[in-house]
Amino acid sequence: MIIGSGPAGLEAALNLKIRQKDFLLFGAADLSNKITLAPRINNYLGLPGISGGDLAARFREHLEQMAIEIVPEQVTTVYPMGEYFSLATAHRTLEATTVILCPGVFNSKDLPGEAEFLGRGVGYCATCDAPLYRDRTVAIVGYTDESVEEANFVCDVAVKVYFVPGKAFTRPLDSRVEVVDDVPVEITGSGKVEQLILNNRTLAVDGVFLLRETIAPASLVPGLETENGFIKVDAAMQTNLPGCYAAGDCTGKPHQYMRAAGQGQTAALNAAAYIDIQKHTHAE
Amino acid sequence: MTELNKSAFLETIGQDVPTVVDFWATWCMPCQVFAPVVEEIAGEMDGKANFGKVNIDEERDLAIEYGVSSIPTLVIFKGGKEVERLVGVRKKAEVVEAVDKYC
Repeated sequence: MIIGSGPAGLEAALNLKIRQKDFLLFGAADLSNKITLAPRINNYLGLPGISGGDLAARFREHLEQMAIEIVPEQVTTVYPMGEYFSLATAHRTLEATTVILCPGVFNSKDLPGEAEFLGRGVGYCATCDAPLYRDRTVAIVGYTDESVEEANFVCDVAVKVYFVPGKAFTRPLDSRVEVVDDVPVEITGSGKVEQLILNNRTLAVDGVFLLRETIAPASLVPGLETENGFIKVDAAMQTNLPGCYAAGDCTGKPHQYMRAAGQGQTAALNAAAYIDIQKHTHAE
Repeated sequence: MTELNKSAFLETIGQDVPTVVDFWATWCMPCQVFAPVVEEIAGEMDGKANFGKVNIDEERDLAIEYGVSSIPTLVIFKGGKEVERLVGVRKKAEVVEAVDKYC
């Protein structure tokens, strides 16, 4: 399984395809917005001055040529079970021999009150926890494109849904949802969430969902070692968990496309070798 | 692991040995991933702690009463009182360590 559709994830996918391994590539169908939004890239070998949009188009073409498809689901859990990994998305569970983590850099700082109220009104997956908010009031802080769908889903259950957009949204929002164009400052309450404080307004709510592009690596993979927010890897791109590799911005600086791609390649080749060894061991 | 309804829940958590309750639901995919791990821990800690699970769709009142707002959540009870809670999917050793404190 490859998690992430930036240069690291894509390069890993290409190499696994060449090695004829079965894999799934999870990520945003429109690739990492860190690629598409770059106006001009001057240090990509062989493609001087290319724009992010053009580079993304080339990446897409390359994937098509190799018949690689991106699965547009967010993986929320990767659990090391010893000899394999158990994964969960919003709609299904899967198993994998190896996992390559390429989720990009996790740069969102915790909102004050977020950690304190986690599981006591603060959640990261509105569609997962919505049934617990029947007849209640919920605020959704949406940093992802899918946030709108989550808000629409919750409004069938909750009595009131506020939507605080963390980025511009284009998808249609249910008319029952109240859009609040403001910036979250703090989550407060006693024992459980009671208020979401914004710059200009305070919302009385029972729950706050923070829907971010990336999940903190240590919450995504229980037991994964990190250092200063980055996933710890060795030169083979292996993490502290056997069979689990990481590549790209999630492993540290510099945050550059070519470094990410190179690491993705290294991770893929080592993951492929790991799979072969596993198979061999089981055959014996 | 035993599925607890309200009366079984109240009876179990009131005991002197710690009780670990796994709040879950059928539609919660991380819960499906976590369940076999909790099951394994329950087997290993058999005799030291009680383990049970509560389906939050069937026992919605319990989920609300105990303020469970995100699943999976493990709540550790002792003598009828909540002593600790672990929200989300956790490392096995972390769960064992948390429960061990109350054994």
